[in-house]
Amino acid sequence: MEPTHEPGDVMAAAMVPPIVGRLDPSGAIAEAAGRARSLSRRALLAGALAGGIGLVVVPAGTSAKGSKAGDVAVLNFALTLEYLQAAFYSEAERRKALSADNARAARLIGAVERTHVAALKGLLGSDAVARPFFDFQGTTENDADFVKTAVGFEDFSAAAYQGALVHLGQAELIAGAASIHTVEARHGAWLRFLQGVVPAARALDEPIDAGAAMRLVDSTGFVRERPRTEAHTSPAFAG
Amino acid sequence: MRLDDGGPGLSRAQALRRGSAALGVVCVGGVCITGLATRAVSAGSRAGDERILNFALVLEHLQAAFYAEAAGSTAFDADVLTFARTAAAHEKEHVALLTRLLGAKAEEAPAFDFGDTTSDQAAFLRVATALEDLGVDAYNGQAANLGRAALAQTSRIVSVDARHAAWIRSLAGEVPAPEAVDAGRTAKAVMADIARTGFVQGQG
Repeated sequence: MEPTHEPGDVMAAAMVPPIVGRLDPSGAIAEAAGRARSLSRRALLAGALAGGIGLVVVPAGTSAKGSKAGDVAVLNFALTLEYLQAAFYSEAERRKALSADNARAARLIGAVERTHVAALKGLLGSDAVARPFFDFQGTTENDADFVKTAVGFEDFSAAAYQGALVHLGQAELIAGAASIHTVEARHGAWLRFLQGVVPAARALDEPIDAGAAMRLVDSTGFVRERPRTEAHTSPAFAG
Repeated sequence: MRLDDGGPGLSRAQALRRGSAALGVVCVGGVCITGLATRAVSAGSRAGDERILNFALVLEHLQAAFYAEAAGSTAFDADVLTFARTAAAHEKEHVALLTRLLGAKAEEAPAFDFGDTTSDQAAFLRVATALEDLGVDAYNGQAANLGRAALAQTSRIVSVDARHAAWIRSLAGEVPAPEAVDAGRTAKAVMADIARTGFVQGQG
């Protein structure tokens, strides 16, 4: 595999949903979208901001840096990404539509992401955001879409953890976030290898901030509103 | 290389034998990293960051030299050679970044001897896997000890080292990400592993 330009670059740039373009005159979100370059075309086309969902985010440059409330927000951001990944891989396993290497990756990586969900929920206790509903729009049902979407998720999660690291206050949380960040980077490389693209395209990886990350998640259309029949005293997500 | 020998008149060899761990000294070959605690005493201090970044720099020098040599191998499969060449370029940039951050405080690279691990493919796969996994463990072991600015830089590096680890494991037919978390290890444990390789020249 020669380290050439990323095959998804051109496609991703063209696939930024129009609503994101209207919200993003400076192009910062489009640039972030370009980084999660392996999200499938169908997913990107399907997604306006799904159902008006705004997931709980840590605003860039939050002044709650280092405070417990700040750490809770960062951890919930991480938990949201883990919910997304865990659900994706779980569904891929259930669909049983993947070839051997991809199915194995879905099984092993999914188990790890589910472990991450459990760990973060354990840390957060009653402060944990609830699991959203997802619609992966067929991307778990064939090899090409699976691996492209999975690469997008993993690269993107790694970058998000990398961005979140420096916003955490407590030493144990920094160590924990670092220990997950590198696992997500491994996953990204693993899936890129399966996809046939260079597993490490650059000498240095860059972070993505939480705001851009959540807008990107929104733009995929994978996240759906909870059914209104669910009884919750407080909303799972802030707008 | 500076050596914190804990007292006047001790030879380097004597200092190394005398419970260097108690002095917070970790030495591999001629490279000694002083003052590393297994727990953060004052996380984010400038002196602490410098010690940690110099520790990272030793590891990156080791990897850079290893891959630079391997990149010239005539005995590797094409995809293994591509990995070696790409990793060589990346590690060179890692060395450059850490050196730039440390400025005048950057420690020199020691001399290395990799034996046949850069020319025999099976040995190369084994050692590359071990070095990349070790690098990840080393950085993660220090993450909570670093100031935010330094952590922001080292996380750019370790993210790529983790990719290298998964890549070489994929080439070797190993599970690319065997653990749910990459828990860190202490600098002492990492340097002990490095010392055991015998790659670093100028021991004792």
